[in-house]
Amino acid sequence: MKTSDLPSESSDACLLLSLPEDVLALISRFLSPIDICNLSLCCKSLCSLVDSERIWIVQCEVVKVLPLLEIVQWRIGISSYKALCRFLAEVMKPLVGVWVHQNPELGNVVHVMPGFLSLVACRIIPQEVGPLGIQEGRVMWSPVFEIICGFDGSAAFFLHGRDGECSSLYPGFVMGVEKSCNVLLLEVEPRREKRLCGEVDNDVRFSFCKLAFSDRRKLLEIVTGRVGLTQPELSSGKLFRCSKDDEAMLLERRTMLLKMHKFGGNWNHMKLEDGLCYDPNQVDSNELWKSLGYGDMEDENQIHGTQRKGFSKYFKSGIKHILRRSSSSSTSKSSSSSTSSGIKRLNLQSFLSSGDFVGLSVKASKTKLSSYKGWPNMHETRFALYKLPVKNPVNSQEYAGLWGGTFGWPPGKCTEEKPGKALFLVMLTYEESQDESERLLIGTKILEGTHYVMHPNGSAMFVVKIGSPSFELFPFDDTNGEDFEHSYAGEGIAKGYGFRYPGYKPGSLFVTSKGLLMFVWKETRVVLTLQRLDLEDLLKKGVCVSPLPPCLNFTYLTKSHTNVFTPGRRTS
Amino acid sequence: MSKKNIVLKSSNGIIFEVEEAVALQSETIPYMIEDDCANDTIPLANVTGDILALVIEYCKKHVVVADGDGGGSSSSSQEDLKNWDAQFMNDLDQSKIFNLLLAADFLNIKTLFDLTCQFVADTMIKGKSVEEVRRTLNIEKDYTSEEEAKARQENEWAFK
Repeated sequence: MKTSDLPSESSDACLLLSLPEDVLALISRFLSPIDICNLSLCCKSLCSLVDSERIWIVQCEVVKVLPLLEIVQWRIGISSYKALCRFLAEVMKPLVGVWVHQNPELGNVVHVMPGFLSLVACRIIPQEVGPLGIQEGRVMWSPVFEIICGFDGSAAFFLHGRDGECSSLYPGFVMGVEKSCNVLLLEVEPRREKRLCGEVDNDVRFSFCKLAFSDRRKLLEIVTGRVGLTQPELSSGKLFRCSKDDEAMLLERRTMLLKMHKFGGNWNHMKLEDGLCYDPNQVDSNELWKSLGYGDMEDENQIHGTQRKGFSKYFKSGIKHILRRSSSSSTSKSSSSSTSSGIKRLNLQSFLSSGDFVGLSVKASKTKLSSYKGWPNMHETRFALYKLPVKNPVNSQEYAGLWGGTFGWPPGKCTEEKPGKALFLVMLTYEESQDESERLLIGTKILEGTHYVMHPNGSAMFVVKIGSPSFELFPFDDTNGEDFEHSYAGEGIAKGYGFRYPGYKPGSLFVTSKGLLMFVWKETRVVLTLQRLDLEDLLKKGVCVSPLPPCLNFTYLTKSHTNVFTPGRRTS
Repeated sequence: MSKKNIVLKSSNGIIFEVEEAVALQSETIPYMIEDDCANDTIPLANVTGDILALVIEYCKKHVVVADGDGGGSSSSSQEDLKNWDAQFMNDLDQSKIFNLLLAADFLNIKTLFDLTCQFVADTMIKGKSVEEVRRTLNIEKDYTSEEEAKARQENEWAFK
């Protein structure tokens, strides 16, 4: 085609349409999925031009969560690159990263990363590092949840957990993932059986997080108890593709999980293409109400002379009635306790009545989070994981990111009576000092592999001033072949007022030419040695251990100072 | 270094004589010289004179900077070049931009091609609503309201 064939400026036709497909694909490198969708909404011919594999494979790359090689591998099990891009942009991109919770105090680190046509959340167990070191030894981890990408790019959620001795899977729904989410919530979600045509849902949804804590816990326990499925042997342990041989097994496992998600307990007798008569992964709302120890919801309504259709209206007027009472009682200060339990019950009732069934769900939302030295302040009573703001190293912040290491010098040296050393994971961030006169480098502890923790999860192991070089020398003659490049003065964690408020003592951070960081406490000459970690690689090579019971496996809400993740593992 | 000149001929017969270094920013032209397409003149059947003039203007600017005492890598001249590129693209109308894009593709001049792609993406599509894109690119809507609503629903995930 001659370029002179292109219509001139005065012509009415769209010039973009006259471009060859490969040129259009190259332009699309500079666009995002939303731009491509907008183009396809412009007119039919543009739609057929941009709704192509060529354009969408580029968009899969643009999302920047999977390398091209894996994008091509994933396409085998997904209907189109557009469907894959949907999963990558909608689910994968916002969720990939390090998520944490305050409890137990040893550290609760969940790394969310790409699996095999899926997203896998792995909890790094507090553990010891053997003589092989962190990178070569096999790190222990336990699955928290998985989100499988369906053939059409849809997302099938599974919570992992243990039911007695068996590993189980708890199917649920991904209820909405905000692009810049920082809180991941495990909830139950009321769902309607089938929406009638033209029926508008003008119920004011009562949200799960507004229910009383005890009700939330009970609901989650009942629902996980009902929807749980024993994990088939094939499906546990191996969640990542490490070699070509794994592929067939992993594809079989994925088909199995998709069947479990679609058919529940009957999955074994079904084919994925089979139609669905009912959604298995849900519990009848009315039944749930009864298992919470209340009477029949319908009966209660009949007593009040209302019909099922007027259900929510009844609840709303009931709440109004009670609210009026409580506001008037605030002046008289009487009967407030019975009123609050009444409100609790009505809240629960109105929550459950907004659907016919209740299912397990996961929601990733963006909320305003305050933090202290890089560590988010967390709710005590929410089934939530919080995104850790791990920064990538850049020019002015070369040490930012995730580091791992152990105490002791030289690093990695173990003796026969002590074959392992506690693994520490530390997040390094930069911050201005309070008077804004200095730049600080902070090492926040997010995991420690000891038996009993000395300092709270999220404490700063050390804080050094980037502007002040240390005049201390490295205290050991044996430098283990390391050349020292920089050193910074600062302070390291020490005993303080009880557990909550650690103290700090002077020390120095040394940087070696091989990229190790060593913090040395001046007085005690204790050394913490850190190296950069590739968590994704570590976990893929690691050992999968069995998870905690389902709700605890998502968030451990009870405070504990000992290792709850590997009971019995350390008794030997 | 001897300064050899190369003669390029546009599809509508206009002759341009340029230094070899200028022409060699195109990865297509060396093959044409090897193939000995013509004795002295290289015919470019896909590029019209006005577009070829633009391509040469761009290549001249970029070859000068690359030559200048190793100053090509200094940040200030990099900055100047960027500003020049932006001005260069801004002065063109839409049909010239698309023709330049195709010429850069055909002549295989990577930097010019990327510059034009980025310009098309940034100024005509990126961050614009459907209506704005239609207006900018002169597209007539041929969807019925129902069809558009359906298509919008299918793509809902991207807009969240």
